[in-house]
Amino acid sequence: MLLFVLLRAAPVAAASLAITVQLPDGRPLADAVVTVKAVGRNLPAPAPIHALMDQMNRMFVPEVIVIPVGSTVAFPNSDSVSHQIYSFSPAKRFQLPLYKGKPYSPVLFDQPGVVILGCNIHDWMIGYVDVTDAPFYGTTDAQGSWSANLPSGRYEITVWHPRMREQGQTLVRELSVDATDRATLTLQLTRPLRPAPMEDQSPSMDSY
Amino acid sequence: MGPREIRLALAASALLAGATATHAATWELDLDLRAVTSDATTSVLDGGYNPTRFSGHQSGLQLGRLRLALDAPIGEVWKLHLDASAWGDAYENPVGLTEAYLQFRPYPSHNLRVRVKAGAFFAPVSLENGAAGWASPYTLSYSALNSWLAEEVRTVGLETKVDWLGTRSGLPFDIGAVAGVFGWNELAGAALAGRGFILDDRQTPLFDSAGKVESPTGARIDPFRQIDGRAGYYGGVDLQYPGRLVIAALTYDNRADPTAADAASHVIAWRTTFDSVGARMEYGAGWTAIAQWLQGQTEISPGGHLREWPFNARYVLLSKRIGRRHMLSVRYDRFEVDSRNAEADGAQAGHAWTAAYVFDPGKAWTVTVEWLRVTSSSYSGSEILDSAGPVRDNQAQLSVRYALGSTPY
Repeated sequence: MLLFVLLRAAPVAAASLAITVQLPDGRPLADAVVTVKAVGRNLPAPAPIHALMDQMNRMFVPEVIVIPVGSTVAFPNSDSVSHQIYSFSPAKRFQLPLYKGKPYSPVLFDQPGVVILGCNIHDWMIGYVDVTDAPFYGTTDAQGSWSANLPSGRYEITVWHPRMREQGQTLVRELSVDATDRATLTLQLTRPLRPAPMEDQSPSMDSY
Repeated sequence: MGPREIRLALAASALLAGATATHAATWELDLDLRAVTSDATTSVLDGGYNPTRFSGHQSGLQLGRLRLALDAPIGEVWKLHLDASAWGDAYENPVGLTEAYLQFRPYPSHNLRVRVKAGAFFAPVSLENGAAGWASPYTLSYSALNSWLAEEVRTVGLETKVDWLGTRSGLPFDIGAVAGVFGWNELAGAALAGRGFILDDRQTPLFDSAGKVESPTGARIDPFRQIDGRAGYYGGVDLQYPGRLVIAALTYDNRADPTAADAASHVIAWRTTFDSVGARMEYGAGWTAIAQWLQGQTEISPGGHLREWPFNARYVLLSKRIGRRHMLSVRYDRFEVDSRNAEADGAQAGHAWTAAYVFDPGKAWTVTVEWLRVTSSSYSGSEILDSAGPVRDNQAQLSVRYALGSTPY
């Protein structure tokens, strides 16, 4: 057992990969989901995590998270108003009846796919949980950057943002990463994002 | 069931809601006081000819609106909403309900969101009256189009809205369809035929009077009457990009029998139909643009003698939010009522400019300054005033509003 752990932990010529995502005008794109899969070989699935998506000012914060299959997500409500969260996405159907604070246990996401969340009270609220089986994953920071250490080899890199308008909804690139190399990749969208939904001004927007 | 029974049923449902609510009910109390100056001779609400809410002799301090609203969740997916207001004029009752309904709001599934309302509420036409209590967040006075809806058109019945949620399945927009079936709106159109469009913010309380005015038949106008036993309907479609764009269209027909009259009061049923289309766009920099158009006709046919009044109204509104505290808005209205009748039944053609500044210094207070200029050929007063040409009325208002209550959910 100890030998097994040592073998797993033995360095396999670690390299690093740095990705930057830009909008068509060159500004960085934050909160884009980056997933990296090995080409032609299987790497171990990532360990599940415990993630958090808050509700603040009648918005999901952050708007987008990415988690490995088998992870749990807590959905606290930090607003003074109640929310009623639901998803009918095939990857996870669930409902959290009217609540404030954090009365519910974290929700388990055990199928890969994008889970789109809504609030049954505030119709404009929309959030995204990308459940991935990719061994490397993350979201870009305010500078549009994301990086990871990974074994050398060939990889398929996918960039996704819920308001991207690229053909095929994602940007996909293949790239070989050599040992001790620091591979960098800059991806630029060809079209601007769709505008973010804004909070309705009305408390009674059931009818418009 | 008559108005008295409906009032009793509404009161009973309010008590029921109080007794059965599993989540705390929320409430809101708004007091809106106005300093008004007007050069209008006499408002149509007071039986005059000027299409503004306040007359010249009302310049000074006025009650804009006193409003108490209650939202009571009943279980997980039901809600009761009650909205009562006083307008300081008391044409019949000093306080009245403007809306009272039960809403069923199941969780969306399979891309479909269903909303069902039963009770009394505004038909989903306005793209302007999005604030609490069907107020406009942009101006004090509503557009001519929506002022008319506030005055005469209310659903007392059942409405179902179904939205196909493209935004929850990776597409950028939602598509909705709405249908309503209603009664007790068979005098809709009588005030419009009697005095034309006005620009104000008075919402006729349910089963109350639309001001101190008579219809062309000489009857007091309570728009919320059922005379012939026939239900009316409306149907509409909309496309929404949440919080950014709404395009909506609706067709309305109260299906009143224009030959029918109430046996006791001899009040005649008014057949009113209209179509409306509109769009509202919001831009990231705080800009909002709204355009709405409505065209319709109202008619009566006492003893088979048909009298018709075609009408239309439209407006464009442009609003700019500056930071979180300031908003500037300007609106241009055009409106017409005609009569295709042998009698001189009145006609109106007019336009109006409205400019408003809203200051939101904190959670509870709102200060609004509004200037309104209406230029309109006088309605049934044409024989008196036509020689002088269209009448121009100016009204300026300073509103200080204080809202308190538990936080809405």
